[in-house]
Amino acid sequence: MNAQEFKSLILSKRPRYAKSRIPVMEAFANKGQSKSEYSQFGPLYELYIYGFRLGLKKGLKLSLPPRNLTQDFLEIGKWKRDSSLVDFLLMIIFSHADEIGFDWNDLEDMEDKEINQVVSNIIEFIESYANGGLQYLQEEWENDNLINSSYLFVDLMNE
Amino acid sequence: MASILNKIAFKNFFNYYGDYEENTYDLEEGVNIIVADNGAGKSKFFNAFLWLFYDQILDSDTKQRVNVRNSGVKILSDKAKNETVINDRVECGVMLEYTRGTRYKYQIIKSFSATKINDSISDERSWQFLINDVEVNKTELVLHKYKPVYDESEKRQIIDHLIMPAFRKYSFLQGEEVDDIIDFGKRESIEEAVENLTDIKKYEKIHDLLSEFKEKAFKDLQKQLKANNAENERFDEAVKEKENIEEQLDHENQKLKEWQATYDTAEEEKNELDKQYASAEKRKELDDKLKPIRKKLREKKEEFETFLDRINNRFFDGNFAWIAMGFEDEVQKYRNLKEQFVERRYEKRALQNVEENPNEYFHFLPENSPDSVSLQNMIDDEHCYVCNREAKKGTAEHNNIVKLKNRPKDKQTEKPFVKNDLNNFFGDLQINAQPFYNKFDSIRDSVIKTKEKEVELKESIDKLKKQIKSIEDDRNSIMIAGYDAELSAKEIISNYNGAIRRREKANGKINDIIIPKINTFKKQIKAIEQEIKDLNKSNNIPTGYNQNYEVLNDLEEASQKAKDRVFDAMIQLLEKHANIHFKNLIKNNDLTGGILKFEKNPNGSINFNYIDSNGNTVHGSSEGFQRMKKFSVVMAIISANNSVYNYPLLADAPISAFGEGFTEGFFEAISDVFPQSIVLVKELYKREDEMKINELGKRLLKDGKVKTMYVNHVPENAEQIELVTSQTKLK
Repeated sequence: MNAQEFKSLILSKRPRYAKSRIPVMEAFANKGQSKSEYSQFGPLYELYIYGFRLGLKKGLKLSLPPRNLTQDFLEIGKWKRDSSLVDFLLMIIFSHADEIGFDWNDLEDMEDKEINQVVSNIIEFIESYANGGLQYLQEEWENDNLINSSYLFVDLMNE
Repeated sequence: MASILNKIAFKNFFNYYGDYEENTYDLEEGVNIIVADNGAGKSKFFNAFLWLFYDQILDSDTKQRVNVRNSGVKILSDKAKNETVINDRVECGVMLEYTRGTRYKYQIIKSFSATKINDSISDERSWQFLINDVEVNKTELVLHKYKPVYDESEKRQIIDHLIMPAFRKYSFLQGEEVDDIIDFGKRESIEEAVENLTDIKKYEKIHDLLSEFKEKAFKDLQKQLKANNAENERFDEAVKEKENIEEQLDHENQKLKEWQATYDTAEEEKNELDKQYASAEKRKELDDKLKPIRKKLREKKEEFETFLDRINNRFFDGNFAWIAMGFEDEVQKYRNLKEQFVERRYEKRALQNVEENPNEYFHFLPENSPDSVSLQNMIDDEHCYVCNREAKKGTAEHNNIVKLKNRPKDKQTEKPFVKNDLNNFFGDLQINAQPFYNKFDSIRDSVIKTKEKEVELKESIDKLKKQIKSIEDDRNSIMIAGYDAELSAKEIISNYNGAIRRREKANGKINDIIIPKINTFKKQIKAIEQEIKDLNKSNNIPTGYNQNYEVLNDLEEASQKAKDRVFDAMIQLLEKHANIHFKNLIKNNDLTGGILKFEKNPNGSINFNYIDSNGNTVHGSSEGFQRMKKFSVVMAIISANNSVYNYPLLADAPISAFGEGFTEGFFEAISDVFPQSIVLVKELYKREDEMKINELGKRLLKDGKVKTMYVNHVPENAEQIELVTSQTKLK
């Protein structure tokens, strides 16, 4: 497997989210569809990335429930196309290789099957932090702790 | 004895929240100016005088005067209303002090109290109002203590002496009211002005009496004639003829009255429409001003919404990269990992090389060193120029040089040393992600700048809103109560032309038909009267009857002429004075050469025109110019009077339609006419200025004629409940 194939393998994955997050998704990732009370994200992946960022920084890792209680969405390769956003995310993710449980150099000697496992662990890593971040957002929202401002999400990041 | 207002103070009166001491204006003889932006208490100030004189205020919504009794909720300060506890009472009032002559000083207080019944403060039913008796106090100037005045008629007199009711219309003006003071289309209006200022009424009385006496003398004479000439047919015939013509004259006079009424109505309508036309024009001008600002506001609002909408985009846009905030450590860690990765890779490759070709893969020389041409020379010459030794073909030295030269070719055939070459994967990530991690240092600035941009947009929206509000206020201030504001310009023009047509028709009837007829009849009557006299010369009538009639006839004619002369002289005098004032008013303007001209109409009304230097009547000038013209006449009415004018001028926004040149002239002119003037103006206000007045305001501040100047303030962007007027005394 060369560099290009390895990257494509990751980009072809569709991370999942718990169905219990649908209300929070609908509340904050709605741009252009309806005027909402809160500052909005555009596509789902934006909120998802934001959730991941929040989870990772706050150390909120929460595994997804069984597959039938989750839902997938856009494959990573289609997140913010023509942008280096995903590259940056991958950089962040690969800096956590320890936590995910692989070694960069080892990857180069793995069989495809082993590599697939690593990629699947990477996706799980994304999913569980995104899930943790989104759960945090959801609780804050449900408990009316969110102050509605255009800078809500900037402020939340700095907390 | 001029009345000079020394002080006016308010207590919880509209925006003037607080006790009298907090809302006091000390005033002096001469010009007093109160500068206030729209909404900063100009009209409220003026309302105090409406209350004082008429127990009324001007409702700013309907532009109608309403009784104080029914407007307590509107008059009482919102802040005071809000702060009052249920069942508690709050006072509201106006107090003023004035001196008259050199001996007496008076204090007048009008007030009411309001008890709060429940919390919906703007509801009339939440309050119980009690209007207090007007309080009037009096003191001699040398004393300090006021003594109350109890006698109601004396109280009334004291209030009236501030400005006598007959003069209030010249002394007590609000904006477009100046237009209504003198309506030259109405005979009564100019007559009233002349009456107020001359003893013309006496002439009228004398004339009326003399006409009556003359009639009586004629009847007496007639009785004598009849008695003496019962048989004289010719005489009877003459008398009959006289009666007949007199009847026709009466009939024509009746017709004249009717046509005059038609003329007056048409003229009045034309004048009303004139005003409306001017205000419609001004309104259109303001609407034209509003249009682009409203458009700009819409655009700004859209920009603002889009801006807010897109704030979250900045997390994911590489130009802002907010999402990278806080990932500094990760990026550093990635770099370290990458370094390790490359190092271990290098080791791996080296190890593999060593395993496969232990003797051949340790090149200490970098690739292309020496360069391939030099190496080829060494091979051809069988000599190593690096160590300057022989390297014969077939020897190890020669083989080594050949190997060195073949290095690049060998590399291409090098075997992969890992199963999955991910070097480029990690390298590319690091290169591609630069837009995000290179921004770490600038993200906070970028957030701050975004917030600043938001503030900037908000401010420019607020500014536009304020501009619109200000123009809308101006627009409202020129709306005249009782008119249908939406009457189209087309309708106004068509009504206007209709009125002119009807007026001209009446004028033609009066001048071309009725008046000549009346003159003929009058001439005929005069001739018959002479004939009757001649017929009876031979008769034996006591001479007293004839003489009596003749004398009264002459006196009546003389008194009529005297009355007309006084009236005409007064009009001429008014014209003269009006021109003096007008010149003063326009002297800072570029208008030159023209004069104001008064011309008597057949029906007795006065045509009032501005004639330019070429002798042409100027029509359709701006509203400000029209008002200036009329103001000249108002001042002329006052100054043409032989005695000194004794009352202050109180004017709210008299110059709202003037240009700056006019405004300056206005302040100069009033100081010549009125002993004291208190003028409320917006035009001198400048929010951005430290003193809150514009350049003209500053010039006036230095002017010796201006004795006091106040600026009113209201907090910017305050809620209605917090809208409190405060004042700074600049002079």
